[in-house]
Amino acid sequence: MATRAGGAKRFSQDEKRRDSDHVSFLRHRGFRWLWIALALSGVSLLGYALIDQQPRPNGGSWYGYTLGTIGLGLIIWLSLLGVRKRRINPGAWSLKAWTSAHVYLGLSLVVVGTLHTGFQIGWNVHTLAYVLMLLVIATGIYGVIAYATLPASLSANRKEMTRAQMLDALTAIDRQLESAAQPLGRDQADLVIAALAQDSFAGGAISRITGRYPRCATARALAGVGEASDAAARVHTLLAKRAEQLAQIRGALRIRALLEIWLFIHIPLTIALIAALIAHVVSVFFYW
Amino acid sequence: MTFLIRTIDFTAAGREIIRDRVVEQDALTIGRAAENDIHLPDLAVEQRHVRIGRQSDGTLAVNALGTLGFGLDGRTVTHGVIDPRTGGEIALGAARLDIAREGNGNIAITIRQVAADEGKGDARRGFALASVLPSKRAMSWIFAGAIMLVLLMVPVASHLLRTPVKNDPKSDMPGQVLMDAAWSAGELSLKHHKLEDNCESCHVTPFVSVQDETCLTCHEELGDHARKPRLAAGMPPLSTGDALQWQIAETLGKEGPLGCVSCHSEHEGPLRQKPASEAFCSDCHDALDTRLTDTALADAHDFGKEHPQFRPAFYASFGAAKPVRASLDSKPVERSGLKFPHDVHMDARGGAARMALSLPDYGQPLECKDCHTLTADKVSFKEVRMEDACESCHSLVSDRTTGGGFSKLRHGDVKDLAQDLARINSGPRPALAPRRARPGQFAQGGAYAAEFGRPVRSFIGLSNALSQGGICTECHLPTVKQGRPDLMPVNLPDRFLTSGYFSHEAHKKEECTDCHAADTSKAATDLLIPDLKSCRDCHLGATAVKTKTIVPSSCAMCHSYHVPSGQWSSEGKEPHYSPAPGPAKTSIAAILGLAKP
Repeated sequence: MATRAGGAKRFSQDEKRRDSDHVSFLRHRGFRWLWIALALSGVSLLGYALIDQQPRPNGGSWYGYTLGTIGLGLIIWLSLLGVRKRRINPGAWSLKAWTSAHVYLGLSLVVVGTLHTGFQIGWNVHTLAYVLMLLVIATGIYGVIAYATLPASLSANRKEMTRAQMLDALTAIDRQLESAAQPLGRDQADLVIAALAQDSFAGGAISRITGRYPRCATARALAGVGEASDAAARVHTLLAKRAEQLAQIRGALRIRALLEIWLFIHIPLTIALIAALIAHVVSVFFYW
Repeated sequence: MTFLIRTIDFTAAGREIIRDRVVEQDALTIGRAAENDIHLPDLAVEQRHVRIGRQSDGTLAVNALGTLGFGLDGRTVTHGVIDPRTGGEIALGAARLDIAREGNGNIAITIRQVAADEGKGDARRGFALASVLPSKRAMSWIFAGAIMLVLLMVPVASHLLRTPVKNDPKSDMPGQVLMDAAWSAGELSLKHHKLEDNCESCHVTPFVSVQDETCLTCHEELGDHARKPRLAAGMPPLSTGDALQWQIAETLGKEGPLGCVSCHSEHEGPLRQKPASEAFCSDCHDALDTRLTDTALADAHDFGKEHPQFRPAFYASFGAAKPVRASLDSKPVERSGLKFPHDVHMDARGGAARMALSLPDYGQPLECKDCHTLTADKVSFKEVRMEDACESCHSLVSDRTTGGGFSKLRHGDVKDLAQDLARINSGPRPALAPRRARPGQFAQGGAYAAEFGRPVRSFIGLSNALSQGGICTECHLPTVKQGRPDLMPVNLPDRFLTSGYFSHEAHKKEECTDCHAADTSKAATDLLIPDLKSCRDCHLGATAVKTKTIVPSSCAMCHSYHVPSGQWSSEGKEPHYSPAPGPAKTSIAAILGLAKP
């Protein structure tokens, strides 16, 4: 009996988990963290509006210190997501809840942080910390949007091919090109060699993001190898196939780059932000 | 239909072996089983795996014979079409079948074995953006390190390693700490602008808040509003948030709400200190007596509603050493030691007016400004000097000089007078004729009677001059000092209202007599300072509605926090403290102005 009851309980727990598995971190628990973040922002704004700080609002008033402490605590906690997500161990914590809170509380930092500045902006370490915080939040917003929209296009771009298959397809075309190009003259052969020699990932970050590859050897070969003879026509067709295959790979690269680029700003700037915050807090009390 | 099947193998030494055979069929099968047209001894290949058949349009149909697909140009499919003109590649296990049309129209199938795809995962890594960007970890270290070094370590180190210099407001003191400008939370006030690059002049010790003692290295002349314990006792209770902040701040060494910086908060932009608001003053001075029960100060919170009667400083007894302050409500009697009926002098038809009319220096009846001249600060008046203000009429001429001019008795010191009298060689003026007197006021004893006769020792004696009826007692009170006749010293304060600021300049459209009842004052004992009520004709509190006649007046119009007798103004030309605090420490205003209630 006991076993059956336990089993039922376990079944319902599993069901619950399975249900929640399909809820995005943004909608987690009926937007719980959105509401908490809105409440935090609302209370901060209300307090700011009600306190008449003379001669002008600043981070050194008691309310300013309160907002600053909340902001600092939030930033440290938000940055710990990187630690949390690497700890794949059981415990009463859900990575989804943590991510949900990360996103919404991170957004509420715009309000808390801005009010902490008292709208005093200057060329100093304090504003540096503020600007870094805003950049981190902006890239985070981009990240959420990218994660919500891009995976669908990444999947569409794949056309049921894995990344390895895309590379295999290119290799297959390359092998055919190699033999098809045998009858070609020196100039055209050189163009084919250049196309074959070029790494399929050639091109920097900017090429990946924009999808423009001005130094693409395949495109050059395609332009240089005409359809004058049968052999040339075959090479031309193969080069066109190669270009098509490259375009698919580059499409994947572009979407992947758009998905990942924000992290290359988000993470280093977060660490820079923590350094700037340390400098901010120490300098404020060093020159108290 | 002819298929040319070319198998390329490699010997152990790496030599290539090419075997060709020709199959004349319309379709081919490929698989692991030996009966297939192309036999591939590879466990990854099915027994009968793929069939290649020629179609009517010249293309080749490639179909999987089982459920397992095959690779066609890198893609895994179960059926596909190859156009022999462009060719295609079929992948089956480790074999790659390259299909192309030969020049003679035959279909060539070239079979190669490829090495297992080791390191394919590495190739897949190229899809990640990380392969073309510097690592996040490296960027993080570089950014964070640069910030920590430039914005924290450099200023901290140069602050700790500097040699402290004593502050000197008169010299340009360059800052010694590097990069600490990046710590500044905002521009300094206009007055402190010079210190913009010298943070350590105020922020002397690390982690210790700016101390009053540091402010006073330059602002030593500023007086306290009151003694600190009195200020603390008079303050209203703080709000919970403020109280908590001060509690924490004081534990950490901040000087509390009475420290300089709690009002003079810096880094608020290039501004001037604003005059204190009425609320700032009334925070403490409204119901001050409930907190500071022994205070002599009356409560005040709004000039129009609650403000004590003025208590001018004056000398209440003859020859007193110190002035006293008394409320105008108590009808104070001033004992300056002078006789001076203002009404006689100000009567436009009186003798004084006539006399003035007859004198070229005046030419018209006396006016206030004939005797009273404003000081430069336009607050008080210069000392009235007998020689300048009175002597034109109250002549001290004693003789003719040999050069044709007149000699005078010196004014101011009885000793000088004694010397001058001794030199006088004129006696009583002889009569015009026996039993005939000069007419009217010119007769002996009249106002304009003068003696130009031979000196007569008994008549011109010093005691005569100093005693009742003598020349000195026209204005002065006679007295006896150490057994000798003398005059009562004249005691007139240079300023009557010592704890407030009154600008005569601002009131120059008014007549003097609108406020000072001089024209009806019969005696010098009248204290002609206008009272609170007369000020309120125009001046009401800061919240009053401004009209043509009503001037809303905050406390700061007449009072300032540090120098009660001065006025702070944040607008207009410097100095903003008027009168500037400083050297006049001996004046009455300065002595009494530094209130210690």
